[in-house]
Amino acid sequence: MSVPILRHGNVLIASIQVAQTDDDLLKLRDRLSEMVGQNRAKGVVIDVTAFDVLDSFATRTLRDIAYGSRLRGARTVVVGIQPDVAFAMVQLGLDLGAVSTALDLDDAVAELSRPPSEVGRR
Amino acid sequence: MASDLAGTADKTLAHEMGLDEAAIERRRRLVGLGPEDSKRIATIRDAITQRAEEYAALFFNYLAEVDEARDFMRNRELVEQARRLKIEHLTAMVSGHYGAEYALQRLRLARLYSRAGLEERVFMAAFHHLLRAIGTAAVRAAPEPELGIEAFFSLQKVAFLDLGLMVDVMVAERERLITRQQEAIRELTTPVLQIRDRLLMLPIIGMIDTHRARLLTENLLHAIRANRAKVVVMDVTGVLAVDTKVANHLLQTVAAARLMGAKVIVTGLSADVSQTLVNLGVDLVGLQTIGDLQGGIEEAERLIGYEVFLRDARPNGVAAPLRSL
Repeated sequence: MSVPILRHGNVLIASIQVAQTDDDLLKLRDRLSEMVGQNRAKGVVIDVTAFDVLDSFATRTLRDIAYGSRLRGARTVVVGIQPDVAFAMVQLGLDLGAVSTALDLDDAVAELSRPPSEVGRR
Repeated sequence: MASDLAGTADKTLAHEMGLDEAAIERRRRLVGLGPEDSKRIATIRDAITQRAEEYAALFFNYLAEVDEARDFMRNRELVEQARRLKIEHLTAMVSGHYGAEYALQRLRLARLYSRAGLEERVFMAAFHHLLRAIGTAAVRAAPEPELGIEAFFSLQKVAFLDLGLMVDVMVAERERLITRQQEAIRELTTPVLQIRDRLLMLPIIGMIDTHRARLLTENLLHAIRANRAKVVVMDVTGVLAVDTKVANHLLQTVAAARLMGAKVIVTGLSADVSQTLVNLGVDLVGLQTIGDLQGGIEEAERLIGYEVFLRDARPNGVAAPLRSL
């Protein structure tokens, strides 16, 4: 099942509701990358609340989406990593690198609406 | 019932110390105690058993006079119990049988001493005092002084067997106490406190091991979600020792919190601790640290967007006059 991508102002919101195969994730990456260009989006929010586990492939794909989007002019925020998922990722040594994270959609949108000069100072 | 329980505790301790027949035999051999000695001791048996109460009194009268044993002597009930066990001890010392039952009796008395806080050196002084009196009596009781001295030397072997057991028990008991205390420190809970909306505080006190670090991280992550926290101030003022492992635990906690969208500020790294971390080469880059808890909370408030002012110094352009509080 493909992930619905909603547009809210100049922010794209991808809310992943069901378990994704590696292939699904790659498709999501390609679609997002394309839509960032089409919609001249300034931000991308990826909601992973429904994930019970984020493995190394998912982590890398999220990172790739963020770097790819940045090259096309949009910042990416990952929201909704659950406590157990976060703990497991740390235990496995997985890292989202410089990708921003937020607790929920509110925070993610607030993060994206801040001027880029402030990013990273949080 | 109570004595049953105490008996079980003695047996448990004996087991922990590995005091089986073989170990006791090794101990006997160590002090050179053999069947010959039992025979020699038999010659002075009556002289000792008849006056066992007197000798026990000698032991406790000595303790009553030294300052170091004052706390011990104040506990009437325990002293009375110890006196009974001491009489039993003196009788057993000359019985000629020094096996598991004998060792168990020594254990019971030693545990009582350590429970009552009688220190080893004080106990040894009193025991020496007692032995001297017994030695004198042994020489007097023997048909010839040489035989009395021989018998006393044999008895002394038993005494040193006793001392070995006593000291081992006292040390073991003390180690058990230390272990219990360490467990207590480790089990100190680590509360996650909300001090402002979306601002959490995590004071860490005591030792951090893998198990505790895990609990602490889980608590924090769930609190971040429940309180919708944006910033967490982690205060480690109460963590006295930090090594590579502890530092890694802290880094993992910080990384996990970040994945959930919360920023962690670490405060209270003391001069010693930071020096240790530098010497260990632990890389704390990517960790925001601020000297003290106050600074950390101020920075966290700034990040979230709080501004805190004294009531009389609102930034309305008019500076309030400074008043002495």
